[in-house]
Amino acid sequence: MVMAREGDLDKLGLLFERYKKPLYGFFYGLNREQELSEDLVQNTFLRILKYRHLFRGEGDFRAWMFQIARNVNNDHHRGQKIKAKEELEDWQDKLGHNENRSTEMLLADDHQMLSMAMDRLPIDKREVLLLSKYQEKKYHEIGEILGCTEGAVKVKVFRALQELKEVYRQLEKRM
Amino acid sequence: MEQKMINELIEKYNVGLADEEDMKAIEQLIESGKIGFTQLRDLAKLDEQIFSIDAGSPSIRLDDQFYSALAQEKNTQVSKTISLPKFEWSSIFPRLAMAASFLVAGFVGGYFLKSPAEDKSVKQLTQQVGELKEMMMLSMLEKESATERLKAVSLSSDMNQVSKKVTSALFKTLNGDENVNVRLAALDVLMNYAKDGEVRAELIKSISVQDSPLVQVALAELMVTLQERKSVTELKKLLKNDKTPKEVKGKIEKSISVLI
Repeated sequence: MVMAREGDLDKLGLLFERYKKPLYGFFYGLNREQELSEDLVQNTFLRILKYRHLFRGEGDFRAWMFQIARNVNNDHHRGQKIKAKEELEDWQDKLGHNENRSTEMLLADDHQMLSMAMDRLPIDKREVLLLSKYQEKKYHEIGEILGCTEGAVKVKVFRALQELKEVYRQLEKRM
Repeated sequence: MEQKMINELIEKYNVGLADEEDMKAIEQLIESGKIGFTQLRDLAKLDEQIFSIDAGSPSIRLDDQFYSALAQEKNTQVSKTISLPKFEWSSIFPRLAMAASFLVAGFVGGYFLKSPAEDKSVKQLTQQVGELKEMMMLSMLEKESATERLKAVSLSSDMNQVSKKVTSALFKTLNGDENVNVRLAALDVLMNYAKDGEVRAELIKSISVQDSPLVQVALAELMVTLQERKSVTELKKLLKNDKTPKEVKGKIEKSISVLI
């Protein structure tokens, strides 16, 4: 990234190749829409391109990238408040369908169940779990992204996992 | 808290018997790093499962969008470096300022003290300034940057009188510069000296040397303006050339018909 900041833009291509998939997974985990997630990855890299001179080169690039990614996601949802309300209703409808579908699919695999449980978590809890996954449990870096201490991140992850466990159990009971 | 108590707390959690108070204590121990998620069986399993979920990969559309944005940024970077030769100008500016101040000093001096001796020195000063400009222009014409060469050409347009050295440098630019804009600018300046027989003859010679349609058309138009019949032979050479575009040929034919 330091080389990209100094003007070697080909190096940014390398960073894109390395991080497009985790970044896409992060956005997809938050939004569950392929096209939107791709657009948000693109927006994140456009911001990196635009503000590359602000990367100090001291910290972890991935943490800096996820910080930008969170802002991109927040800006997107802030700009679409009205639309988001409609989407929430759609989402609730979709959830209803998923529940019906899930009762029909008695042999649904663990991953599907887990994805459904993740979808039901509040956005902040889902986000911290996704950051834990894509930041590879580097809680200190996640603390930099979220603006809190490493210990506070661990507690957030614990609470999110705890709630995920409950939701997962409820889903299991219904099946 | 002693290790034994921590272990008991973990055990309690793992068998599902931890109450609200125990949960608070576990949170504190997690925060201080004394308990890791791997010790909490259910959570460790869930955590592991989250890691193994594959969200899929983005489509090729993302690659297309990103790489075209990157290419655009690269182009902007290149054009910025071409269009902002600040450093070059800053090194030239003091010389220009000095030249201008000499000029003003010369005029002021000449206005108040009109003695023949000082008239002579004003002339000398003006000549020196002219020479300085000329020298600057000639050295700038040698620069690699097209912008620099354009500036050099426009600098020569400010000169009242030009030496043969300057006109031959401008012709060298008109006939050999790799950048069409620089060549057109050189032609613009040379038009002002077209009254001179030698310049006119060189302009005519230049017609068949040109490979850029823009310069070819500009020269043809200039010949019409100057009513230079001697140029017809050179214009006809362009007509015979297979590489000359059709549109240009049409324009040249019109120019020839006007000239004849």
